[in-house]
Amino acid sequence: MKKQKGEKKGNIFTDFGTAVVKGDWAVKLTLLWMGAGYAKRKQYGRAIVMTLLEIGVIVFTLRFALQYVPKFNTLGTVVMEKVFNMQTMKSEMNDYDNSFLILLFSLFSFVIWFVAAAVWIANVGYVYKLQLKAERGEKLNTFKQDIHSLVEENFHITLLSLPTLGVVVFTMIPIILLVLVSFTNYDQQHMPPNSLFTWVGLDNYLSLIGGGGLTVTFSYAFVRVLGWTLVWAFFATFTNYFGGILLAMFLNSKWTKWPKFWRTLFVITIAVPQFVSLLLVRNFFSNGGIVNTICANIGLTGFLRDIGMISTSYIPFLSAPGWAHVMIILINIWIGVPYQMLIATGVLTNLPADQLESARVDGATPAQIFRKITMPYLFFVTGPTLITDFVKNINNFNVIYLLTEGVYTTTNQLMANSQAKEVDLLVTWLFRLTQDYYNYKMSSTIGVVVFIICAVFTLLAFNKVTGGAGKESDYA
Amino acid sequence: MKFKKVMASVLAVAMAASMMTFTVSAEETETVSLTVWGAEEDQTLLQELCDNFAAAYADYAVFDISIGVESESTAKDTVLTDVEAAADVYSFASDQLTSLVNAGALANLEDYAEVLEAYAGKTLDDVKSANSEGSVEAASIDGSLYGFPRAGDNGYFLYYDSTKLSEEDVATWDSLLAAADAAGGKVGMTLASGWYNASFFYGAGFTTDLNDDGTTAIDWNGTSESGYTGVQVVQSMLEIAGNSAFMAIADGDISNQIASGDLVAVVSGTWDASAAAEVFGDGYAATKLPTYTIGDEQVQQGSVAGFKFTGVNGMSENIGWAVLLAEYLTNEDAQTQFFAQRESGPTNLNVAASEEVSANIAQAALAEQSAYGVVQMVGDKFWDPTATLGENIAQGTLSVDDEDGIQEALDTMVEGVTAAVE
Repeated sequence: MKKQKGEKKGNIFTDFGTAVVKGDWAVKLTLLWMGAGYAKRKQYGRAIVMTLLEIGVIVFTLRFALQYVPKFNTLGTVVMEKVFNMQTMKSEMNDYDNSFLILLFSLFSFVIWFVAAAVWIANVGYVYKLQLKAERGEKLNTFKQDIHSLVEENFHITLLSLPTLGVVVFTMIPIILLVLVSFTNYDQQHMPPNSLFTWVGLDNYLSLIGGGGLTVTFSYAFVRVLGWTLVWAFFATFTNYFGGILLAMFLNSKWTKWPKFWRTLFVITIAVPQFVSLLLVRNFFSNGGIVNTICANIGLTGFLRDIGMISTSYIPFLSAPGWAHVMIILINIWIGVPYQMLIATGVLTNLPADQLESARVDGATPAQIFRKITMPYLFFVTGPTLITDFVKNINNFNVIYLLTEGVYTTTNQLMANSQAKEVDLLVTWLFRLTQDYYNYKMSSTIGVVVFIICAVFTLLAFNKVTGGAGKESDYA
Repeated sequence: MKFKKVMASVLAVAMAASMMTFTVSAEETETVSLTVWGAEEDQTLLQELCDNFAAAYADYAVFDISIGVESESTAKDTVLTDVEAAADVYSFASDQLTSLVNAGALANLEDYAEVLEAYAGKTLDDVKSANSEGSVEAASIDGSLYGFPRAGDNGYFLYYDSTKLSEEDVATWDSLLAAADAAGGKVGMTLASGWYNASFFYGAGFTTDLNDDGTTAIDWNGTSESGYTGVQVVQSMLEIAGNSAFMAIADGDISNQIASGDLVAVVSGTWDASAAAEVFGDGYAATKLPTYTIGDEQVQQGSVAGFKFTGVNGMSENIGWAVLLAEYLTNEDAQTQFFAQRESGPTNLNVAASEEVSANIAQAALAEQSAYGVVQMVGDKFWDPTATLGENIAQGTLSVDDEDGIQEALDTMVEGVTAAVE
């Protein structure tokens, strides 16, 4: 909405208040009939659009929303019952409630109503502005001009409405749904459409932090899984980051022969789909895999047994805690460093040559140059990716799941009792809880926790990087 | 445009309908759509059987049967993702029964008994008595049948190389391991799985059972009916696992290990028959599992008698026809074909008694072991804690002499297994 000169800048609610108090009969009628104000100003096109919109919302409410929203507080009470009919060879069902549909469609209705309410409030304010315009004798837009403005001065509205809708439907609604499910008892014992689930308040969060709830060991497992998730995210991010930079510098060094050849060699690891290489590596390092055979043949296995590092007849590369943790991080370096190398190579070619030159003239050692010029510059340019990498690694499902699923059996009984393993990230644990145990309530709860952790880290780190690390002018 | 299309199809249907009334008299034949899910290897056979079914019931309806690929071992995961979108008729492994029933994904066949009587001319009791007692028991909850037994080969026994091991050698674990050591080979078995390691406990008279609320009842930390304690069983397992001729194989890695050629004997099922036959060559042999030592007594190792069932989706639209189709895909003729084409071990008593089945080495060993087989009734919480116990035994983290430690491990496991379902 364009502001007229002389009008006070108010927010949507104060505009609404003023409009209701000071508006003429048409503005007041707009509270009921959203097209009224336009109709009075002879803007029939707008009046029709707003009226249709209003009718649409009312029909939606009566025909759709009211089937679900009234049951939102209980999530349904009528359990499914079936009777078989020999004549039709079909089962006849009662009009049963489906808790999940009630939850989903109620949420959908709330979103629609929220948007409708916002439009309704803004509409009244706008109609009042039309009244003021008309009173000042200004010319009002025709419907044709309105439409035209959508491809001219108001083009941003046309452009952004589809993405906004996408964000709401595909991002907002699922996240809110996840949060809502974490307050219910939606699990294997309560699976729609056969049975109902309902609200349980904070019970799931309490079981997660050990304040009662259902499983005693859940909080035990949660703390350990969370700990490893953070340790993993830290090491996975920084080993790749520094490994990539070092590798890029080696390849950029003037003493390196055939740099293009080496670079291609490393990029090949990227070219092979990750899950293929991960599954292969998993088989290489499994208890009966080729690496173990080699180690046994050259006597390494026997040596490690003798010095007491292992108690098994094989080296448990991916099947014992500690060993598996280190191996996973190492394998991740192999997979992740080439990406970081490519990024670092790009940045290194843009290093300010004059600064390097003058540093060299001033007699700085290569180590000093690296510490004082190369690293700060790299850090400034790639800092934000470091944060996104960290958050990505918190949710790095592929590496962990593909390397350990089917190979790693936990020996920690308390973890096992909560279906967790020492090498699980929150996201792989969550996956197994949904995929194998249909424990949607705890998965959602863990999902919400992951969401909070990621949000907090992102906010903190971005503030730090964009606020403190330096200004672009420092390097210009 | 759309309107035109709709009009065109309406007209076409109307014309077709008016022509039908002239040609096929006044009798209307409705079209029944059904979806069937089965294993990838079974697709051709399923297609054949479905065609036969459609022909057999052509008098009642026109059938439009589509067949999709879904392995018995993963049926539960796919079906429970969206029960309403799942197939009308699907096959699954017996350990998935409880979860599927709890989610309403399997119809209680007792409710549809009259369909069978009216159309297939047999009662549900006929079906039950035609199949082995164990399979019917495993397919029932509280006396109600929830799936038609189709295959009984989901169990394990011992494959061995008869050129290196004699029949006496494979009778007990002690002689088996000693002979394998002498032959320079290993004996492989999966310990980190409650499906395999339960065999030692079942053999010693321990039990598992499923409660009405979906939780598992388990007595492995106490004393069994036969008078053995759980600690004694674990000690025996530790003795076996600690033998240098024993190889603990990760769950799902057995086929690879057979192929590696290091093994002279391995505990596995009929699905590894061709792999074992190839590696052992002329020495390919199979028999029941050996006995193991508790104190100075020999205890016959038990096993899990696993089955494959074909069930009917509780949310199926044409559920009556779905029940008939499921029965048709599992009856005596179907099982004969399943054995002939897919070497699938039958549950049907007549088929099992046939010459072809008893001549098959793996099937014969399975039948021999089935005398000690137990129908494993457990809930979902059974698997992780028992796998962890097995892994602890395999890795030797428990010590044979530490009876308190073993008891504590068993107690913790039982606590995890019996936890409430959520």
